[in-house]
Parts: sequence; C-alpha cells; structure tokens
Amino acid sequence: MTDFVLKGIHQEYRKGVESLTDIDISIGSGEQVVIVGANGSGKSTFLKLLDGLVFPSEGEVTAFGVQLTEDALEDHDFRRSFRGRVGFVFQDADVQLFCSNAFDELAFGPLQLGLGEAEVRQRVLQVAAALRIEKLLDRAPYTLSGGEKKRVSIGAVLTMRPHVLLMDEPTNALDPRSQVWLLDVLAAMKAAGDTVVIATHDLSIAAEVADRMIVLSEEHRICADGTPEEVLGMRDLLLEVNLIHEHAHRHSGEHHMHPHMHGV
Amino acid sequence: MMNDRQGRTHKSLARRTADSVGNHIVEVLENEDLAAEKGFLQGIDPRSKLLAVLIFSVTASLVRSPWVLAAMSILALVLASFSAVSPASFARKVWGSAGLFATLIALPAATQFITAGSVLFRLGPVAITRPGALGAITLILRVVASAGFALLIVWTMRWIDLLSALSRMKVPDIIVATLAMAQKQIVSLMRTVEQIHLARESRTLKESTTAENRRWVIERIAFVFQKSVKTADDVYDAMLARGYSGSMRVIHRTPATVRDWSYVVFSAGIAALLIAIDRMVMR
Repeated sequence: MTDFVLKGIHQEYRKGVESLTDIDISIGSGEQVVIVGANGSGKSTFLKLLDGLVFPSEGEVTAFGVQLTEDALEDHDFRRSFRGRVGFVFQDADVQLFCSNAFDELAFGPLQLGLGEAEVRQRVLQVAAALRIEKLLDRAPYTLSGGEKKRVSIGAVLTMRPHVLLMDEPTNALDPRSQVWLLDVLAAMKAAGDTVVIATHDLSIAAEVADRMIVLSEEHRICADGTPEEVLGMRDLLLEVNLIHEHAHRHSGEHHMHPHMHGV
Repeated sequence: MMNDRQGRTHKSLARRTADSVGNHIVEVLENEDLAAEKGFLQGIDPRSKLLAVLIFSVTASLVRSPWVLAAMSILALVLASFSAVSPASFARKVWGSAGLFATLIALPAATQFITAGSVLFRLGPVAITRPGALGAITLILRVVASAGFALLIVWTMRWIDLLSALSRMKVPDIIVATLAMAQKQIVSLMRTVEQIHLARESRTLKESTTAENRRWVIERIAFVFQKSVKTADDVYDAMLARGYSGSMRVIHRTPATVRDWSYVVFSAGIAALLIAIDRMVMR
C-alpha cells in the first residue's frame, strides 16, 4: 500500500525561486522515512506538501489515492478523514501550541474531528499518561520548558491517532533524555505499522530510526534515496550537500582531517 | 551600566527596555501564580466572577455619590485581601496607576476654566472650584472602583479560565480563539524583544545618541512586526493541520456550583443596595 505519491513536483516560494525541484517519489504505508538536507534545502516544504498546507506550483501530490488539492480539502468528509490520518509536529513548538493550556492542546485535534467529549477526555488522559505529561495539563504553553513543549506538541498530534506522523526537526530543543523518549515514541509507531516522515539535518536520528533515507540537495532536488546504511556510506555526496564537513584537528601533534557530522 | 559622580546608575536604552519587558513577563507569570492561590475569588466560577464584575462596573457608572464610589473602592480592596492579593500591591496598581491616570485626565476639569463655581482654593492663577473638584473626585473614584474590580478578575482568574468562561457565555469562538492566540503571541514576542535588546546591550561599548536609538528601535519594531505576521501564518497552518475549519470546540471542565451563583446574587444585592443609598444621598 502507498500513502503518498509525488509526481513531477516543482514548488516556488516566490516567483522564479524554487524550494523543491523535480520531485518524484512515493511513500509506502508503514515506512519510516527520514528526509535529510541542509538548511533551506526544502525539507519543511516537502512535509507541508504531504500535509496539504501548501500545494505544488507544478505536478501533483496524491494521498491515500486521492489527489491533494485545495478543492479536495474543502470537502468536509475528505478533510476530516485526511486530517485524522495525517498528523504534523511542527519544528517550532511555540507555533504549534496555540491553545491556552496543555489539556486543550491535546483535546483540540480530536474535538475538531468531531469526536464526543467523553472520548476526547479519554484520549487526552491516555496520551498524557503515555507521554508522562499529566502534571502539565493545566499549564499554559508559555510556562513550559523547551522539552515539555515538544512533548505536549507531539501529544497534541498523537491524540488524533494518526496513521501518518510528519515531524519537522523533532530533535530541536530536546535535551538528551527527551531525545531518548522521542526514539521510544517512534519505535512504538513503527511497531503499530504507522508511517513516519521526519525532516531533519540530524543524521544520527536517521541512523537510529529510518527504514529509508532521502537526501535533498541545496538545489532542492532528491539526490539520494536508499537505506540509511547506503546513504550514510556516501561520504562525498553528504559533503557536497552540506550535511557533513571536513573536520581538522590534532592528535599528539599530528594534524589530520576527516568527515564530521553533528547530531545526538 | 555606568556609574555617574553621584553614584547613581545609568542604564542604556537597550538595558532599560530589556529590563522593562522582562518585568512584564515576570508579572504575567506572577499573575498566573496568584490566580492559582487558594483565595475567596479564586474559588468562584469564572463566569460568576465575570458577571459580578459586570454588575459592579455598571453600578460604578450609575452611582454619583463620591461616598458610595469610595465604598465600592474599599469593597474591591476587601475582596482583594480575601483573595491572596496584598492590599499594598492592590493600592499601588489600582490607585497608583489607574488613579493617577484618572487624576491627570480630571484635573483640568476642576479648574475655573472648565467648571465655574465658588472657589475652593487657588494655585497661582489657577482656581479650583467646588463643583469642579467634586466632579473630578467623582470621576477619579469611579475609575478607581471600576479598575479595582476589573483587575481582580486578572489577578484571581487564570487566562485559560477567563477564555473558557467567555466561551461558555457564548462569546463567538473566533473572538475567544483570537484572544487566546493574542496573549500567547504577546508573551512570545515580549521574549523576542527582550532578547533583541539584551543582544544589543552585550555588543554595545559606548552610549548611543538619541537619534541612533530612535532609528534602531524603529528597525526593531519593523522586525518584530514581520515576525508576528510570519508566526500568525505558521500558527494558522498548525491549526489547519489539526483539523481547524473555522469553529473552535473546547471542553469545559469545571461546572458552576450553588456557591458560584450565590456570589452573583450577593453581588447584585450589594449593587442594588449601593444604588439605593446613592439615590438617597444625592436626592
């Protein structure tokens, strides 16, 4: 089964300036895909295309067999079905947390999907317990730490029980303990057969969780698509797309250089 | 920071602004803490509190006797002291700020230039008339009484409860949602402004001229405005991503009790009594 098909995608963020160029790709159900690329390579736009928040200047995006257009999302039944199946965790938790407390954040999605209050309460308490954020439920988002905000923003999506989870730079602002916790969440989703698409420039998370790794170049094109072992072995390509760099240092007076990446 | 010859400290514009913004953020957080205290008003349902404030605000605009208005100001102070709000803090914020503002507005009306009548006292060429002084005192007390009750809402109710109360009182979803996002964005943007000014302070070696400061502030205002517009777009995307399609559903978690509605009835009774006394005094 295929969740998403992107054909001949070109995306301009202003006239004549592309954020994605010539993208042809499909994402299967249950895959854990990590999109890597330098800042500005188009990763966030890629996720927004999958979530129907932006639409391609050229080409088409198909989600669950239906072409994803503004008109399609105007249809109440399709919108409800699509939003219920696809969850998006934004890079900036401050953007995602727009309700007045964490409880309302977790309840927002399921309520918009039309679920009853009793069901929504049950989901909120269940997800809060699973993510160990029960004590945060009455807190206003701006009083939370960076790690707590990230947990709440992930919880706010998980209460919708999405089949597809899109995450933009999920390890940003996470302390080491929260990063381990995030890996556990992703492992649980994998075990449940859910699809996960993560955009990041953190290569270590790709090595930890991905079944498949896609590299976007600084020219906004797909320049590699394979298993993490295959892609992480392409040192010259990773250097060229600005994901790793030559690192020079000394050992006991001996000066040498080798490729270096930053991550968890 | 630099010390002058008298030992006072001079702060740069950047430092002063950062401190001021920082204090406002702390105040917002302190208000949340105060609202979570176990006090009389904190235990009342938000809707009942809103209704009571509305009743007292209308009463303050109906009564004309300065004595009755003074009694209302004292009533607000008493409610504050039973609600974990320190009387000193209440007096400073209500009488010191709202009172001072009202005084500045009302003072010209107390002079013989605006209100004719018998002269109470003279300040050089300016005479304060008896009806002018009475009118000014009435206005000041009215503002102070109204501000006192309104600020009690802010101090004894968490923002989330206020929004929930508005929503349950059938205020349109879009207004409640806008208020919710506005408060969040204000705090978020205040943090940005504080950081901008601290970053400037950390790179400033000499004091800037007024013109340089003015230019820099204007540029930063433009930057913060652009950021707020971008953030608003992003927040809207985040709402769409979670199924928002124009109306906002929320779960109300705290049902109102007999005690809450008794408070509204009690407030209405007090208000009626004050109006009756006012009518007798002003007859």
